[in-house]
Amino acid sequence: MFNYFISRILSALIVVLGVSCLVFFFIHLIPGDPVEVMLGESAQPADREALRHALGLDQPVLTQLGLYFSNLLQFDLGDSLHSKQAISSMLWERIPATVELALAGLLVALALAFPLGIVAALKHDTAWDHSAMTVSLLGVSIPNFWMGPLLILVFSIGLGWLPVSGRDEPTSIILPALTLGSAMAAILSRMIRSTLLEVLGEDYIRTARAKGLSAYQVVLRHALRNAMLPIITLIGLQLGTLLGGAVITEIVFSWPGVGQLTIEAIQKRDYPVLQACILLISVSYVVVNTLTDLVYGALDPRVRLSES
Amino acid sequence: MMRGTIMFVWLNILIKTGLKQRLYRGMVVSVLFFTSWLLLACSPQHNDHIRFALQSMPVTLDPRFSTDAAASRINRLLFQRLVGFDDNFQVIPELADWQQIDLQHYRFHLIKPEREFHHGRRLNAEDVAATYNFIRDPANASPHRSSLDVIERIDVIDEDTIDFYLSEADVLFATRLGIAILPAELIASNHNFREQPIGSGEFEFIGMPSPTLLQLRRLADGQRFDFVHVPNPTTRVLKLVNGEIDMMQNDISPELVAYLERHSGINVMRSRGSNFTYLGLNLQSRLLKDPLVRQALAHALNKQEIIKYLFQHSARPANTVLSDDHWAGNGELEDYDYNPQRAKALLKQAGYNADKPLELSYKTSNDPFRIRLATVMQSQFEAVGIRIDIQSYDWGTFYGDIKAGRFQLYSLSWVGIKSPDIFRYVFHSRAIPPEGANRGRYVSHQVDNLIEAAALEQDIDAQAGFYKQIQSIVHRDLPYIPLWYEDHVYISRDNIRGYSMSVDGSYDGLKTVTVQ
Repeated sequence: MFNYFISRILSALIVVLGVSCLVFFFIHLIPGDPVEVMLGESAQPADREALRHALGLDQPVLTQLGLYFSNLLQFDLGDSLHSKQAISSMLWERIPATVELALAGLLVALALAFPLGIVAALKHDTAWDHSAMTVSLLGVSIPNFWMGPLLILVFSIGLGWLPVSGRDEPTSIILPALTLGSAMAAILSRMIRSTLLEVLGEDYIRTARAKGLSAYQVVLRHALRNAMLPIITLIGLQLGTLLGGAVITEIVFSWPGVGQLTIEAIQKRDYPVLQACILLISVSYVVVNTLTDLVYGALDPRVRLSES
Repeated sequence: MMRGTIMFVWLNILIKTGLKQRLYRGMVVSVLFFTSWLLLACSPQHNDHIRFALQSMPVTLDPRFSTDAAASRINRLLFQRLVGFDDNFQVIPELADWQQIDLQHYRFHLIKPEREFHHGRRLNAEDVAATYNFIRDPANASPHRSSLDVIERIDVIDEDTIDFYLSEADVLFATRLGIAILPAELIASNHNFREQPIGSGEFEFIGMPSPTLLQLRRLADGQRFDFVHVPNPTTRVLKLVNGEIDMMQNDISPELVAYLERHSGINVMRSRGSNFTYLGLNLQSRLLKDPLVRQALAHALNKQEIIKYLFQHSARPANTVLSDDHWAGNGELEDYDYNPQRAKALLKQAGYNADKPLELSYKTSNDPFRIRLATVMQSQFEAVGIRIDIQSYDWGTFYGDIKAGRFQLYSLSWVGIKSPDIFRYVFHSRAIPPEGANRGRYVSHQVDNLIEAAALEQDIDAQAGFYKQIQSIVHRDLPYIPLWYEDHVYISRDNIRGYSMSVDGSYDGLKTVTVQ
């Protein structure tokens, strides 16, 4: 298990290093000049050159890359070109909101997906199955930019139960979490249904039934436990996406998370902020996927044995 | 009571069912959980502070570095400036009156009695000098530096008097002094104005508890204002309807305004705006070099129809950058009328016909309203035989392409134009990017000479005469096609009173607004 753990962590570090390099080079390929963004169109050429020098942008790209990594190792992400605020503090302001929304969205997704998936598998090819899968098809087909306003119209404007947007009240998270969770639940419930259907045909399930266990005991104690591996992988991937900032949902609900910051950085050509956001998104993916791999290894000894 | 009952029922079922019970009960528990979650939620609490929705938060509240519209509007509340502008965009004293000692020497005298900084000290000439000297220092990389290039030296004469010496004559010099004044000792101590702005305006900064909330207090009566960032216009409208915000201004599509006008409890006001929208043409393009083609484009556009249907009358046609109520505007220009027959004839004269149609590309941002506008123009051009290929990009790429001259047609707006110096910036042959904003690469020595002549003219009427001539020539040459001035729209809930709209779209009306 230790070897498996070390190999996963090393892979994750290599991926983060590769992503950092890619992010650095791709950001430099984006059209536009950060100096012009900072000084405006009317700036004098001498002022532009002075600022370019001050920012180190007149250095060769590889020198800039070295400086970037040296700062990164000291957790110095630099300052925003526009607001001059330290990027690390900008991210720290946003990360709690993003994590909160990601976890709430995941909770909603799990609460909806498991009952839907299990019922659909147990009542395979019945009206229950078709209804559950229709609900899940709707969830995956309705885009968040439509689902969000729809929920606002019903629960905020129509019923007056919930705030339209923002993060000012404890209840503010409900609608964005439902928006995010419903789409995720749709994918998850289909995965739960299909993996359960596979597992339910296995010999050990027949044995469990022969022992006289009820259908639900068979599912909860035997089938679901064995069907969990692909489901955990999917949950890990989805959580990685959510931690990177659910851009559309954050915009619709004015949720002050990393997704909104990323969009603002793109629109304003605030390259250092954009670079930091992309790096954070990548690291979120890598961390969540590494954790998923570790959980996978803990749940299934065959995985860690084959790895080692 | 109701909440307690729901929680009791829910907990009871949870305890009784337990984890080993049947799944159906689990589902019932889930449904009850979500129902109670929703029922426990309540409508947002109403506070006595006024909530103002913003499409974009100010990028920085430090006026030495801010360039965005949101920051300049908020900073007008927090800080004071040496000069301001009246409704005809004439420069007028704000903190200070001035006299021109000679062509290159201006003396400003602080005359406004109410000029206490929020930390308690009275604003004086040292503060003015410190603010302008900071901006002029190249090491500080202020985006406002280039507008103050003409200043050679600043001398403080006494506590209320300050002299500006210029490197060359500049009759519009006073118009350049609209920068907020900061306390000298805080500039010297490198105070963080971005996070803790201290000015001498009628509002003071309370805090920014989250990246989407900015709180100010009106000093006259202690009224608190919350500026709330709501980027999505539909969400902004729904928040207003739901009573989560009290007011907003501009940045909302005409159809959403029409929706709000039909809604009870909502007040909609419009005022004439000066933000100028135009269709930019690249005069370096082989096709657009031909004046006949440019005239054909101007005659093919039905501006009235676009204003009527797309803007729902929230705009008025424009002939030039400066509106006719500007002191240097030219109200005598005749619009290129909508005349498809004339447009077709001009195209034929230029050598285009059905077999050889004129084909142009039109670049725009990915803003849905701007894309819709582009498609309407595309269909109007199509009607006279001009084929338009619409290309929409995210703002940064679009704007980058425009500045770099990678376009044939594009549409943009000039926002907050006050000084006629805009003509030097936009039409002078030495203002082609990166030196200025002559994005269409227009070169007219006649216009260059008139711009130089206006800059040396001391008499305001004679100056206005030069600017009117410039506008006539530009109108004839068509380096761009003037479209319209978009109205300002202010929307509030019925209980908000006393807001007055300004022609430049500032938030100065908040100085008098009250909650009923």
